[in-house]
Amino acid sequence: MKKFILKSVLYIFLILILLEIIVRVCHLYGEDPPRYIDEYGVEKRVPDNDGYAVTGNRKMNYSKFHINKAGFNSFREFTPSIDKYEMALIGDSFIEGFHQDFSNSIGKQIEDQTHGIEVYEYGYAGYDFANQIYLVHAYKNDFQYIDQIVLYLKYENDLERDIYKPNTDRIKLLSSTIFKIRNNIKLLSYGTKIGILSPIKNLVKRGMAFNNSTEGYQTNELKGSKAEELKVDQKRIANFKKLIEVYGFDKNKTSLLLDSRTTSERFLEFCRSNNIRYIDFSTSFKNSKKPTTLIYDHHWNAHGRSIIAKVLAHDLKEQQK
Amino acid sequence: MLFNSLDFLIFLPMVFVLYWFVFKKSLKIQNLLVIFASYVFYGWWDWRFLILIFLSTVLDFLVGQQIFKNQDNNKKAKYWLWVSVAFNLGLLGFFKYFNFFVDSFIESLNALGYNMKSVWTLRIILPIGISFYTFQTMSYSFDIYYKKLKPTTNFVSFAAFVAFFPQLVAGPIERASNLLSQINTRRIFKYEQATSGLKLILWGFFKKLVIADSLAPIVDDIFTNYADYPASTLILGVSLFSFQVYGDFSGYTDIAIGTAKLFGVELMSNFKFPNFSRNIAEYWQRWHVSLSTWFRHYLYIPMGGSRVSKLKSLRNISVIFLVSGLWHGANWTFVFWGGIHALLYIPVFLMGRNRVYADNVIAEKTWLPSITEVFQVLLTFFLVTFSRIFFRSPTLSSSFEFIGQIKNNFSYEPYMHPMGYRMFDFYLLIALFTIYEYLIRRDERNPFKFSSPIVRFLLYALVVMSILLFYDDGVNRSFIYFQF
Repeated sequence: MKKFILKSVLYIFLILILLEIIVRVCHLYGEDPPRYIDEYGVEKRVPDNDGYAVTGNRKMNYSKFHINKAGFNSFREFTPSIDKYEMALIGDSFIEGFHQDFSNSIGKQIEDQTHGIEVYEYGYAGYDFANQIYLVHAYKNDFQYIDQIVLYLKYENDLERDIYKPNTDRIKLLSSTIFKIRNNIKLLSYGTKIGILSPIKNLVKRGMAFNNSTEGYQTNELKGSKAEELKVDQKRIANFKKLIEVYGFDKNKTSLLLDSRTTSERFLEFCRSNNIRYIDFSTSFKNSKKPTTLIYDHHWNAHGRSIIAKVLAHDLKEQQK
Repeated sequence: MLFNSLDFLIFLPMVFVLYWFVFKKSLKIQNLLVIFASYVFYGWWDWRFLILIFLSTVLDFLVGQQIFKNQDNNKKAKYWLWVSVAFNLGLLGFFKYFNFFVDSFIESLNALGYNMKSVWTLRIILPIGISFYTFQTMSYSFDIYYKKLKPTTNFVSFAAFVAFFPQLVAGPIERASNLLSQINTRRIFKYEQATSGLKLILWGFFKKLVIADSLAPIVDDIFTNYADYPASTLILGVSLFSFQVYGDFSGYTDIAIGTAKLFGVELMSNFKFPNFSRNIAEYWQRWHVSLSTWFRHYLYIPMGGSRVSKLKSLRNISVIFLVSGLWHGANWTFVFWGGIHALLYIPVFLMGRNRVYADNVIAEKTWLPSITEVFQVLLTFFLVTFSRIFFRSPTLSSSFEFIGQIKNNFSYEPYMHPMGYRMFDFYLLIALFTIYEYLIRRDERNPFKFSSPIVRFLLYALVVMSILLFYDDGVNRSFIYFQF
């Protein structure tokens, strides 16, 4: 019995070591460049980081990223000046674009389709509208030179708060020992990503939920009803108003990039009546014969991103006329 | 509790430690632990149905003693045997077949012009594993009746035999002469047996998680949307289903046999590389062996087997296959599937070739099979796979539509995976799996039979790596044979 237990433990250990080597050599794990909050209170990536983002068990999507000196994934450095024509594209993981090689990003494609324009991609996974508008506010010295600002708004989850507060908890969590261990043991990082460790996470969650059994109780009286929709829209519009009031919003050079299929008509009407420009990419996506999102992920695929680039390039040309 | 769940990964070491370290001094207490663990294992799914297992246990325990007591009075012994059969088949009949028979009766009346509506159909949950444990307990009563076994007087041992958790919900369907005798004997921990158990568990997980679960979304997609696909895709779908169902069921069996070995118990083999069968008879000697053996011992032979006139033998074969089909599920598709196998088996039987491959494997003394063997294997695989259209389709009409679609849309188009994955990965996986199974074809109980420890270690690592590479978080992880 002793031999059986010792040998089993030894075999498991050796197998894990070998798997760690395979995962590292084949680069099956995805990298998540470290995050931090800078002196302006803006959450972003630690500058000057290169690596590879991976999606799927068998590297179904594999792309290189480059975090520039400003702390964002981009093929160029951000050097706004009065002499050039610049566009800032701000948004969450969709704009950050770890799903495509950084050298072929949306910004690069826009530059290739236009003349004399520099595109600065301020994408960061987890940004909502408050993050985005605060970024413009915090870096106003840079943004005063930028000629066009496009904010990517996902209406269904980007307008849930009316004030910006940096997410210090997340930064703390990501720099905690558990996450450090996870990031250093690539097999663990890979296992988490493919979901094989989800049962363990769920078990822990189940245990915690059992201890706090009253948590999570909520009324569903209004859920899905017209009254609820109205309430949600009113809240989101109020948040939007408050955010642009607090942090400012230059209507002459700022536009929202959105999908009208997932955006409330009330909000669109609010934008129209308040002269807030928006660029709607829904028609281009609807008319696409090829899928626009990754199948094993909800982010835009290479085709979807090229459509976005085309829509924005077209809009820029129209603006410059 | 599913073998491939975190719950089981916690449960198994706990029971193992209690079994060998805490309760090893007394056989009775060790068997009580087996009963308790088995009831927890089963009750994890639905504790209410434990009562059925318990009732079946009590009844067959008492019936066994009555049959033995009346050995000299065949009429009385037979009466007690019928009590066991009626009770167990009654359970099966009610929980599994009640709605099927009521609906079929109403449908046939409607076909004859009597307009009737079913008011008898009940909402019945099928208790997991009922087809397996009822057959196992019946085998005990049969063996006593046929004087092949003496009944046990130890209720604890008998209850542990009925509920032994590694094989409780999907077999192998054990005969008391094999399993009960081991449960009645003091088990000794053997290093070789335990390591061989772990190897089988690993191989079983590979078959389930890598082969069966990764093919499931493809097969589901093709069988759900068969009307939209060309023949090439439909043929691909049913061929992959052959691998899926094999990986799923034989994977379960390997985990079951491996788990039993960890507790010092040897279960019978259930799968012996059926994909390398050279005719249908050999296929049935290699596929779900415990069920085929059960039917042979307790139905085919009592009906006269092959020692009666040719006509009666053919009748016996047909009955066996039709009943075996119905055993799988309360649906005419399964009866039809059984019927096809009967039709495929009968010519082999009439040519006297039903036992020619019983004691040997493909390429018995050579590295590579002969061209004839390759042709035989391919033909058998094709026939078995064709019959699986009925096994997998939800209704008879959809089975025929599936076949009609192959005939009417006989064209080729490359198939795209429903999740967008590279199909090449799956083709490569199946090819490598088949080659590996060919290499180990002589011993189904030792999937890593290589003399070099380095090769064995690399294979273990490769198998675990494959599980990671093909693990799909979104797949329903239940086993196909649980529904039977």
